[in-house]
Amino acid sequence: MENKPLISVRNLEKLYYDEGGSTHALRGVSFDIHPGEFVAIMGPSGSGKSTLLHILSFLDRPTGGSYVFKGRDMDHLSDQDLALIRNKEMGFIFQSFNLLSRISVFDNVALPLIYEYDLKIEKRKKRVEQAIASVDISEKTYIEAGKLSGGQKQRVAIARALVNNPSVIFADEPTGNLDSKSGAQVMDILQSLHKEGNTIILVTHETYTAEFAHRLIHIKDGLVDSDVPIKKQRHLKEEFFK
Amino acid sequence: MRLYDSLKTSSNNLTHSKMRTFLTMLGIVIGISSVILLMSIGASAEKLIIGQVQGVGSNLVFVIPGASKGSRFSAPASSQGIIIKTLTGSDVDALQRDPAIVNAAPEVRGQAKAVFGNNDTNITYIGVTENFFATRNFVVEKGQNFNDSDVNSFNRVAVIGPEIAKTLFGDFNPVGKSFRLNDISFKVSGILEQKGVGAFGVDQDNIILVPISIAQKQMLGIDYYNAISVQVSDSYASEYTKSRVFSIMRASHRITDPNKDDFTIRTQEDILSLLGSITSILTIFLTSIACISLVVGGIGIMNIMLVSVIERTREIGLRKAVGATNSDILQQFLWESVLLTFFGGFIGILFGAFLVGVVYLVLVNIIKTDWVFALPAQAIISAVVVSTFTGVLFGLYPARQAAKKNPIDALRYE
Repeated sequence: MENKPLISVRNLEKLYYDEGGSTHALRGVSFDIHPGEFVAIMGPSGSGKSTLLHILSFLDRPTGGSYVFKGRDMDHLSDQDLALIRNKEMGFIFQSFNLLSRISVFDNVALPLIYEYDLKIEKRKKRVEQAIASVDISEKTYIEAGKLSGGQKQRVAIARALVNNPSVIFADEPTGNLDSKSGAQVMDILQSLHKEGNTIILVTHETYTAEFAHRLIHIKDGLVDSDVPIKKQRHLKEEFFK
Repeated sequence: MRLYDSLKTSSNNLTHSKMRTFLTMLGIVIGISSVILLMSIGASAEKLIIGQVQGVGSNLVFVIPGASKGSRFSAPASSQGIIIKTLTGSDVDALQRDPAIVNAAPEVRGQAKAVFGNNDTNITYIGVTENFFATRNFVVEKGQNFNDSDVNSFNRVAVIGPEIAKTLFGDFNPVGKSFRLNDISFKVSGILEQKGVGAFGVDQDNIILVPISIAQKQMLGIDYYNAISVQVSDSYASEYTKSRVFSIMRASHRITDPNKDDFTIRTQEDILSLLGSITSILTIFLTSIACISLVVGGIGIMNIMLVSVIERTREIGLRKAVGATNSDILQQFLWESVLLTFFGGFIGILFGAFLVGVVYLVLVNIIKTDWVFALPAQAIISAVVVSTFTGVLFGLYPARQAAKKNPIDALRYE
């Protein structure tokens, strides 16, 4: 593990204003995440874990505190910079897959790369094919994404998250819409990605899913309740092939 | 986002829901094809009119009795049915003496009943001299025209148009036959070549030309002329000859103050520009009406694009999450509406050209007019520009709505 953190948050706050007044979703969250970590963020609904993920993934800005990503302070980045960093450095996996169902698996996986102007079409094709192969779904490359099963969809989504060789992959309840077997397979893929050196930040409310990670940050009422390493990770093989 | 990716993304979205795309395009197709059709009809009408005015003869200046007050286009009193007796033989003689003037052909007009056997019809006759034929481009196809000695010796001969020849004589060859015009017997000396409807709305095939002497003295009982057609030499500029004709006429009528002119002079250019401005106004008017359908089509596009933006809220959120900037999203939706209107415009041009062809074929083959085919390049260019511009104009608001979406709200949208 390198010394310099990939992600460093200090006293992160998020205050939402609406008609009824204001909601304090984050009340001062601080932690560091180093390259190569597999972190699960857990908490009950309303705890602020989704808000935290949105800020960490540059989709939202905090109302207080500081967030430094790869040495760059978010305060000093424009919306354009944030889009660029999301494009080059971050991968996203969502609970509801968020695939474009009308287009092929290939085009779905290629989506982040079309916003990378300087990438040659040939190189793009190669990277998309590699990403699809890495989640073992090559035979579906030119099939419309809408025609896949839930588990297959989430694998496509993982390929899309990988295709830009991101510094960090954010997974927001990636197993939430899957049956337990598909869910376990998805977690297995994430685990092997982690073994290859990828940094993964997982948000979940299921203890079972969180136990695939190496570190658990528990959020409660907008604060870090606990931040502990997981001594013994769960593995897919133990579940289904014992 | 590269242009290639923008176009691919937009065309994917458009081809996915073909019926919706087609119906959305339809407004633009109809708008553009009607613009093309109306601009082409305007251009055809203008060509037709120019052809007819030039068909009257070349280098012509018309002298009409009575002054026209105000603009050069206002009608002289004589054309409003007021009898003005100021154009006479001495004017013709004075004009004829000028070296810049090749011919000065006087004419008188009247209405009469023409009778041959059991056939009769009411018709316009024109009393003319020999040089009228050359001056006004009236070609005798069968037989021959009458000459000045026929005019001077009051010979009752007539040259008739092909239409009236058919009406009166049917299948007979009229040359050499006699018919009655206002109970005066005329012998047909020649038949005119087919000429169609003239620039002044007169059917030039349905007229009878008789010696001016008989028309004046025996049929109308007058000693003045209704008009003089002056043919000027090629070697003089028309503005120069026009002013020459003015000064000759003023000298002949002893007029010193130009405001007291008792005659009006019209050149072919005057007539062309008058008719040209009428057709231009009509074309502009009709094209503006067609533009209303373009606006309606554009609003249709805006409406569908707004629906599309709402339907694809999650897609917008996803694209933003994976790195699309606001301008990437704006471009994507703008391209979609521009592609819609561009192809709508393209189909509209083809459809409009097809309609122009149909109108041409119907007018020429079924209604038998001298309609001229015209599909002006400016109509096509403006159709392309206007349809693309419509796409930008009506696509901009929905595209901005899409670009402005907050990625988190968009991703959560159900």
